[in-house]
Amino acid sequence: MLALKMLLRSWRGGQLGLIFSALVLAVAVVTSVALLAERVERALVKESSSFLAADLVVSSSQATDSDWLERAEQQGIRTARIASFASMTFAGDEMHLASIKAVESSYPLRGAVKRSTVPFATDESDIESVMSGPKPGDLWVDARLLPLLNIELGDTVDVGDGSFKVSHILIEEPDSGSSFSAYGARILMNWSDLPASGVIQPGSRVSYRFLIAAAEDNADNFDDYVDWLNQQLDVHDRIITPDEAQASIASTMDKGRRFLLLAGSIGVVLAGIALALASHHFANGQLLQVALFKSWGISANRVRKLYIQQIVLLAIGGSLMGLLIGWGFHQLLVSAVREWLPIALPMAGARPWITGFATGILCLIGFTLPALWHLPTQSPLAVLRRDTQVKSLNSLMRGSLGVLTVAVLLFWYSENFYLSMAILLGFAITALASIGVGLVLLRLGKTYGHWMGSIWRLALSNLWRRKKPSLIQMVGFSGAIALLMIMTVVRTSLVDEWRWQLAEDAPNHFLVNVAAYELEGVKNLVDQRELETAGWYSMVRGRITHLNNQLPSEVAKDGHESLRRELNLSWTSDLPEGNKIIQGQWWGTGNESTNNLAPVSLEEELLHELGLAIGDTVRFSVGGLSFDAVITSTRSLNWDSMTPNFYFLFPEGYLEDYPRTHMTSLYIPSEDKLLINDLLRKYPTVQVIELDKIIDRIRSIVSQVTRGLEMMTLLILGCGILVMFAAVSLSMNERLQESAILRTLGSSRRLILGVQWVEFTTLGVMAGFLAALGAEFAVAMLQRFMFSLPFTWHSWLWIAGPLGGGLLVGLLGVVYSRKAVTQPPLRVLNSL
Amino acid sequence: MIEVSNISKQVTTSEGTLRILEQINLSLEAGESLAIIGPSGSGKSTLLGILAGLDMPTSGTVFIDGKNITAMDEEGRAAVRAGHVGFVFQSFHLLPGLTALENVALPLELQGMADALQTARAYLERVGLGERVSHYPRQLSGGEQQRVALARAFACRPAILFADEPTGNLDTGTGKKINDLLFELNAEEGTTLILVTHEKTLAERCNRRLELQAGRQLESLSGISA
Repeated sequence: MLALKMLLRSWRGGQLGLIFSALVLAVAVVTSVALLAERVERALVKESSSFLAADLVVSSSQATDSDWLERAEQQGIRTARIASFASMTFAGDEMHLASIKAVESSYPLRGAVKRSTVPFATDESDIESVMSGPKPGDLWVDARLLPLLNIELGDTVDVGDGSFKVSHILIEEPDSGSSFSAYGARILMNWSDLPASGVIQPGSRVSYRFLIAAAEDNADNFDDYVDWLNQQLDVHDRIITPDEAQASIASTMDKGRRFLLLAGSIGVVLAGIALALASHHFANGQLLQVALFKSWGISANRVRKLYIQQIVLLAIGGSLMGLLIGWGFHQLLVSAVREWLPIALPMAGARPWITGFATGILCLIGFTLPALWHLPTQSPLAVLRRDTQVKSLNSLMRGSLGVLTVAVLLFWYSENFYLSMAILLGFAITALASIGVGLVLLRLGKTYGHWMGSIWRLALSNLWRRKKPSLIQMVGFSGAIALLMIMTVVRTSLVDEWRWQLAEDAPNHFLVNVAAYELEGVKNLVDQRELETAGWYSMVRGRITHLNNQLPSEVAKDGHESLRRELNLSWTSDLPEGNKIIQGQWWGTGNESTNNLAPVSLEEELLHELGLAIGDTVRFSVGGLSFDAVITSTRSLNWDSMTPNFYFLFPEGYLEDYPRTHMTSLYIPSEDKLLINDLLRKYPTVQVIELDKIIDRIRSIVSQVTRGLEMMTLLILGCGILVMFAAVSLSMNERLQESAILRTLGSSRRLILGVQWVEFTTLGVMAGFLAALGAEFAVAMLQRFMFSLPFTWHSWLWIAGPLGGGLLVGLLGVVYSRKAVTQPPLRVLNSL
Repeated sequence: MIEVSNISKQVTTSEGTLRILEQINLSLEAGESLAIIGPSGSGKSTLLGILAGLDMPTSGTVFIDGKNITAMDEEGRAAVRAGHVGFVFQSFHLLPGLTALENVALPLELQGMADALQTARAYLERVGLGERVSHYPRQLSGGEQQRVALARAFACRPAILFADEPTGNLDTGTGKKINDLLFELNAEEGTTLILVTHEKTLAERCNRRLELQAGRQLESLSGISA
């Protein structure tokens, strides 16, 4: 096949290297991202099919009504009850706050529990699936509990007042989807052991689940039962269907995929720029060949066919190679994020491969084909006359086709028109801003270059003269470098800064779930150690049922979590530290008028999110009793103070008749850590939240995720380097000619080499500066909106950016264009 | 073989109409050789381009092998070129990414010839480059590059060979050798040869000469008609 032969010869001649590399990188970036996203998504979807471990679940803050069980039994409906709570576990001197799930013997109704007798088992042969939970007296525990408590399988662990044998390692429960949010090691215990352990007390934070499933033979009964059950539910109960379970996963996954998509598409855009430039260069090199072909009598159609065949072959070869490299990179990404993904990843389907492959084809259609489009129209007369012009697609047209390609690809990845347009717009704004700053830098360089030596003057005026390729290189490079910087800042310093900005003695522990009868004892323990708390707060758990006497719409419920779950309601006479009244009056000033309703102070942002205003009413249901409250003030909270913060505050006395627990936060210096042991031995139902450990956990997750992304950023940096090579290639003939003329006129090689060094290094320094600017801006946005941190400078960005950029671009540029210096000037002039 | 009547070529520029060729007439039998001579800018290369069907005259007709190429569109002229025409250029026009062998074989491959590489090798041997088939143009001297170009042109066995200042980029000694080779191959293959040159000696080796001055045929076609 002649097209293949031509392609291989062009490859050998080095004319295709850049196009091929850019194609491979674009496909690799997209494939690796798509593979990772798909595998995680599949894992989550697979989980959710048995996500409920039942056909339907009623989630509640109250224990399951006995009527429900009786009726289910009458109708032959299978049921299982679950209670989930956090509790301290002990073995010898060690202890750990575990996430405990007590299940009835019928659990799970759907799906299977995976367990093992080998700690940290990964081998499938060590893992068995069973259709039951632990038998009474046994615990199945997360493998990490063993080192945490310094125990082995078969040892005894204390939960509350009971002692239990650790019989198995718990690998996975079908309804473990919520384990993402659980900080403690998971423990599965038998429901019938609950009374003996005494861990559930009035007011304890327990969430109950009532699982139901149709028996194999009577599906009709099930629907009747669900209808009946629906009428029994009160505001504390919520029905969860498998669809709903999937919806929450889908939305989590969506966020993750969008983030990956954004990072991936930056790579595609850079690779696209490199492709367009390299293809333009390639097309220029093909003009003579096409003119010769046509002088030999080859028709325009045949020429077109030959080049289209070559593009198709190139697309197939490059895409296959890209898929392979993408697969390799995705393995790296998977290994980087494996630790925080507590699930096994199933193999990906065809979609990511198709996406990657299609990216390759579309990139060539959008970036390469337009650059070659005019080739068949080349006049055969060009073999005789050098000045024969061929009309290529103008750069505006080619640019538009490129943008269209990116838009199509973004739409394909995101399947969301508005999101893809938003990302495109973001790219456009970033590019325009970078071009603006870049132009200023180049202009400054030219102006100040005049005052320096001849090397500098020449180099800086070269940059200005070739400002189009200079800008393309600068913007492309700075994009890639900025991305790398952002990842590094997030990984290395942002989380540290978050912790660092907390005051030295800011509370590092929360004591929650302290029962009323335990309060005095706990206070005494704290006082004995002379520790200071942030004040004790009473709280009751309640649910919002009405806003301004209206039931919240389903849309509002879907939109805001606080309308779906139970909230902590508290009361105090004094405005807590760190709280600030924004609107209305704090109580006790005598100005509030409540029409005999309970006054309530609401957190400012929640007020807006719920669409409420001062004077509106909210109906709460607490333990089955309802009462109305009127909003008399709004507050802003200081979340960084690490003191208890409440969305809803009431004046003292309004909630005292309801079952309540108490909480506080306090700073426990490391030498007083034993307090926790004493406390929990005496009061095992008290929850101690160790903030320092949580922050460490967050930091490790953020660090793993960004480390994975950093690896991908390296691919993107590769795309940036290709952009530079492609831009240098385009100006190569001009560079060759200039240096040949300079050398003919007697300039030394040193001067020419010096000019190139200065030119590329300056370009790199400018790109690094631009990258630092962009990264600092992006990090500032992250600080403000994600971590709620005040702005801080990252001075190393401003040093590392220009320094690294200068070195990298300088070195690569000089190496890549060394031909301009090493070739004898006569040969250069003859060959042009 | 080639029949030209009343060819004129005008181009319109911003400064008015420019007459490049006026009323050119010539007729050439198969196997004859014609030198188009004249000072720079006299329209030699334009005439060559029109004769070869690469360019169109403003008026007049060109018949190649009995076919009126001036009445054809570009695709039609391409078909005529494919069957009859070969070229040698002043700047060789070898493709830099291809070896000598591949440069010679390329037009044969485009014609779909099965043993293109063998034929190409045979022609390279004929121009004395049998040992250098795998060299790239940049590894060859100017004279050697023009030999490769000659091999490429003759390998296609064209009925008419158009040569545009074939030795214009070469020194006198090398140029003479290339000219010898050109005429040798021409004689062996029985090709009709039309060349543009500045060189008197080269022009004198052709049996016919056409001298142009400012686009006009200076005198009626001179030389011996075969």
